Amino acid sequence: MTTLLSLSGLDLPRRNGELAFDAPWQSTVFALAAAVIEHAFDGDREPFRQQLIKAIAAEPGRPYWESWTAALEALVPTLPEPSTP
Amino acid sequence: MSNSTHHPAAMSPVEQRVAALEALLTERGLVPEGFIEQITRRYESETGPMNGAKVVARAWADPEYKMRLLADGTAAIAELGFGGPEGDHMVVVENTAAVHNVIVCTLCSCYPWPVLGLPPAWYKDPPYRARMVREPRALLAEMGCRCPRRWRSGCGTPPPRSATSSCPSVRPRPRA
Repeated sequence: MTTLLSLSGLDLPRRNGELAFDAPWQSTVFALAAAVIEHAFDGDREPFRQQLIKAIAAEPGRPYWESWTAALEALVPTLPEPSTP
Repeated sequence: MSNSTHHPAAMSPVEQRVAALEALLTERGLVPEGFIEQITRRYESETGPMNGAKVVARAWADPEYKMRLLADGTAAIAELGFGGPEGDHMVVVENTAAVHNVIVCTLCSCYPWPVLGLPPAWYKDPPYRARMVREPRALLAEMGCRCPRRWRSGCGTPPPRSATSSCPSVRPRPRA
């Protein structure tokens, strides 16, 4: 178990003692969810949150960002159809 | 960090899935130019516990600010310019000589991004989410915080955001 952030370790305080993302795909899928929330759901986080809860419950041992990816994949079919130009 | 993302044939399955999502969502016009980089930058370097530290320091120095912070966390935190996603319903609780508070989200690991940034890995792990509810004292001790018997542990989740939210509130326990 990692130790809690100590305020005396201030070299990277903004990162809770560890990097926010271990790999580019994680920051990408995080940002993609933010894009969908903002641009398809007008800022409403609940549809994505419900998918994330389901994804985590479906596979509790799965790494977090993989559950995040699964949640976004499950959300895509529910997106409003783009209007034709 | 590998270079596999530059060579499509070498991408891991999850990288391929994320690449497919990016292509699909971009094609649907949902991902403006530069958006991914902007969000990544925001949460990798611009958002984090240094924000929350400023809020706490202000509360230590200014008793009236502290009262406002405990009464309406969202508004008081906004006074310092912090807010945004996962920050719409901020509740601030105070540790006292009798109560030690811990925060856990048992369903999706929600976390107060505007003041603490993204959560550390241990916060999102199933053992933390389960054990902090079932055995907070033992888990706190493992994390380096030994609770005197007289402390009551209050176990809270980030508060519900709307009637449709399903992250439950966990009631504080009279004992742990």
